[in-house]
Amino acid sequence: MLHFELIMLKTEELQINIGPQHPSTHGVFRMVVTLDGETIIDLKPVFGYLHRNHEQIAEQNSYLQNMPYTDRLDYFNSMANNHAYAMAVERLAGIAVPERAEYIRVLMVELTRILNHAGALGFLINDMGMWQTQLAFGMREREKILDLFEAASGARLMCNYFRFGGVARDLPPDFVPRLRELLVAMPAFVDELERLLRENEILIQRAEGIGILPKELALAYSVTGPVLRGSGVPYDVRKAEPYSVYDRFDFDVPVGSVGDVYDRFLVRIEEMRQSRRIIEQIIEQLPDAQGGHINPKARQNVRPPVADSYARIESPKGELGFYLVSDGSTRPYRYKVRAPSFINLTPLGDMCRGYKVADVVVILGSIDIVMGEVDR
Amino acid sequence: MTSQIQRGNVVTVERGARGQRVPGGGLLASMAVVWKHWQGSFRKNDSFEKIHGTFTMEYPEERPRLPEAFRNMPILLYDEASGHELCTSCFQCQRICPPQVIHMSQAKDPVTGKALPALTEFVIEYDACMSCGLCAEICPFDAIKMDHAFELATSDHAGLTLHREQLNRPISYYEGIAPNMWAEVKDSAFKKLQGNIKRRPDVIGMAPNLAEKIAARRRELHPPELVAAPAEEAKDVWSAKGGTDGWSAKDATDGWSAKDATDGWSAKDATDGWSAKDAKPGEGRESSAAAEAPPMAGAPAAPLDDKAARLAAIKAKNAAKKAAEAAQLPPAAPQDE
Amino acid sequence: MARLSPAELRERLERDLPGAVVETTPLQISPPPAHGPPPGPYSTDDTLVAPDLLVEAACYLRDQLGYAFLSDLAVVDFLHAGLFELVYRFYHVDGGPALMLKIRVPRANPRVPSLTPRWPGANFHEREALDLFGIIFDGHPYPKRIYMWDEFEGWPMRKDFPRQGDKYIGEDE
Repeated sequence: MLHFELIMLKTEELQINIGPQHPSTHGVFRMVVTLDGETIIDLKPVFGYLHRNHEQIAEQNSYLQNMPYTDRLDYFNSMANNHAYAMAVERLAGIAVPERAEYIRVLMVELTRILNHAGALGFLINDMGMWQTQLAFGMREREKILDLFEAASGARLMCNYFRFGGVARDLPPDFVPRLRELLVAMPAFVDELERLLRENEILIQRAEGIGILPKELALAYSVTGPVLRGSGVPYDVRKAEPYSVYDRFDFDVPVGSVGDVYDRFLVRIEEMRQSRRIIEQIIEQLPDAQGGHINPKARQNVRPPVADSYARIESPKGELGFYLVSDGSTRPYRYKVRAPSFINLTPLGDMCRGYKVADVVVILGSIDIVMGEVDR
Repeated sequence: MTSQIQRGNVVTVERGARGQRVPGGGLLASMAVVWKHWQGSFRKNDSFEKIHGTFTMEYPEERPRLPEAFRNMPILLYDEASGHELCTSCFQCQRICPPQVIHMSQAKDPVTGKALPALTEFVIEYDACMSCGLCAEICPFDAIKMDHAFELATSDHAGLTLHREQLNRPISYYEGIAPNMWAEVKDSAFKKLQGNIKRRPDVIGMAPNLAEKIAARRRELHPPELVAAPAEEAKDVWSAKGGTDGWSAKDATDGWSAKDATDGWSAKDATDGWSAKDAKPGEGRESSAAAEAPPMAGAPAAPLDDKAARLAAIKAKNAAKKAAEAAQLPPAAPQDE
Repeated sequence: MARLSPAELRERLERDLPGAVVETTPLQISPPPAHGPPPGPYSTDDTLVAPDLLVEAACYLRDQLGYAFLSDLAVVDFLHAGLFELVYRFYHVDGGPALMLKIRVPRANPRVPSLTPRWPGANFHEREALDLFGIIFDGHPYPKRIYMWDEFEGWPMRKDFPRQGDKYIGEDE
């Protein structure tokens, strides 16, 4: 029998760029990867290609003028951005929100969560090489929800729907019937998504055990959202510090056990189901809600007292927070966005170390970033 | 890490044990899902309760049914009955516009120089407008509204800066696209419009393309024995020269000749350049500029109202008196006015 | 762990970490206006910590009090008062409202010890503060700009950064 000796080839480490122009980096995002063969030694994310100086623009605009700009932060989930900003200004200026407006707000954010996860999972599956099958199915459900957003706010993506003290316009009369139709389709959609992908051998090969973020590291890295919950930490802002009317709904918080891409995938599917549950409860409770769609005494050209405030929500990507400092005028003195995608990128290097180049895109897809938020 | 969460549980997602999966079973299940969708795609989806079936809208043969609240670009409204624009140039939309694409200037009374609730110019840069709809929301007179037209692509970049004539639409147009939204504000908008019409002298504030209405209104306000005047449109004529600027004692007596009254203005010019086709972007500006030139030539000589006529007469008398005094007094005497 | 209020936190810090807590003086944010009453001073209930003992105070919050989640590091440029204020926001893992630690550093010499070696989550926050405000974090493993390109000069989010007519942007933009 011949005895083979493994001769170690003398290799060098190669440093390559993934991005910024790349179909799978979720926007203009660059990763400087140090490779040994196909294995990743180190990864450094580089971004700023979509830096639009949002925070400085916001210092020049009045509070209401900033609302359309917040739509464009996480451009996938404009309603969620609006919500966090509206809450921050309301805390700063002491504006109360009527009950019906709160219900409408939560309804919009939960619909946003469903549509974000449908899209995010679609992109993740696309990154794994399954060529937009799931993305197309997800986009179809998104279209239905976007039609609802258009009927309520006037625009599909850049909704600009929230105002200080409520929402801009009340729901049109055909909104709830159409929403009910959609809710009938929703379990079928999520179940089908699971059936399509959960036991799928290709997905399991590409997602199980990839990009593991252990529990302790997850918290130390300040990640939030499905990434944190996928790693096993049951921290959800809607439960940890309930805001708006979330304390009136029953819903579960799904967590993962291992913290790999597969877990985050499953957590997002389960969150879609929980969002649907919340929406059903909203539809039940909405007719009894008091008040109108906006606080009639709320001035939109607010002039808050000299103070600071912070408001955070559980946006579909994580904890989205707005920190505002007011100097008593109609413009914010300091306006800072705590963007979840930005902070969730912190452990990217650690998550990718030791895996192959092909896994980088999958891991990035599982974090679910949006460059509008990362760069602002 | 345990945590007490109210009204719900912490649920660990089930991964399913690796070994118990049927090899290849997952792939077969996936293919079954795709097959079902593929089969369903040959039929049209009739209800959003179902997830199979195509609901592709075959644009441009099929047009989308846009909801009332849909907003694309702003337009200005005018009332067809009276011919007046609803806009009073209050500058609220200009102030609130986040990308600052709205620019306007307010009309001034030709006699007193005071600001009037009417426009002389209104510009929106469509290429930078972000369709946020804040201008329409804040307008106290419901004059600027969001249009539904979205097929605005053009290869002429300058044509995306729209002026007042191109932005004007009759109220019936807006009522057609957003009936419920208009019905909510209709009464208060008309009431405010009536109030504004009263405060607008002459034909200031009328939509410039309604030439017949303007001519009719002018005839109504100034019966023909008083000199029919040039300026077919109370535009830069008045704001540029002002009510009394450009006046001199000489003009006070010269300006009343019948010759000046009709110079530079003819019925032909009244309709040229103001047709409805100019409402499209990119075309209106040149023809309207051409139509403006003749009136402006003869303009500064002849004011319209009889109030203005009286004021002119008083000024002429004062000027004559001052000239007489100046002639009488020695030139060295200092006059502090 | 019990939900602490800012006053209780301050008390604990004064007791357990001597020298960490600094007196909070109200700040005048903007210069008095040309007419009209001047806006009130900016005062806060949150604990103001001495910059040198920041890392110890943060680790005290994490290890002793269980506030293991650093959510946000915001920098506010108080041009008129001549200092930067950094706001560190901590949340408890079981939920509940935040506890803030604030630091004030002079604008002329903004140096702060970096939290990153002990708390990896502060990495990008500190790089952003460096990039946009020019605050130097001593001990940061990778102190490079994060949004602007490396050769960019200037600290864009400072209040005295020229908003127009920069060397990168012409006067007419």
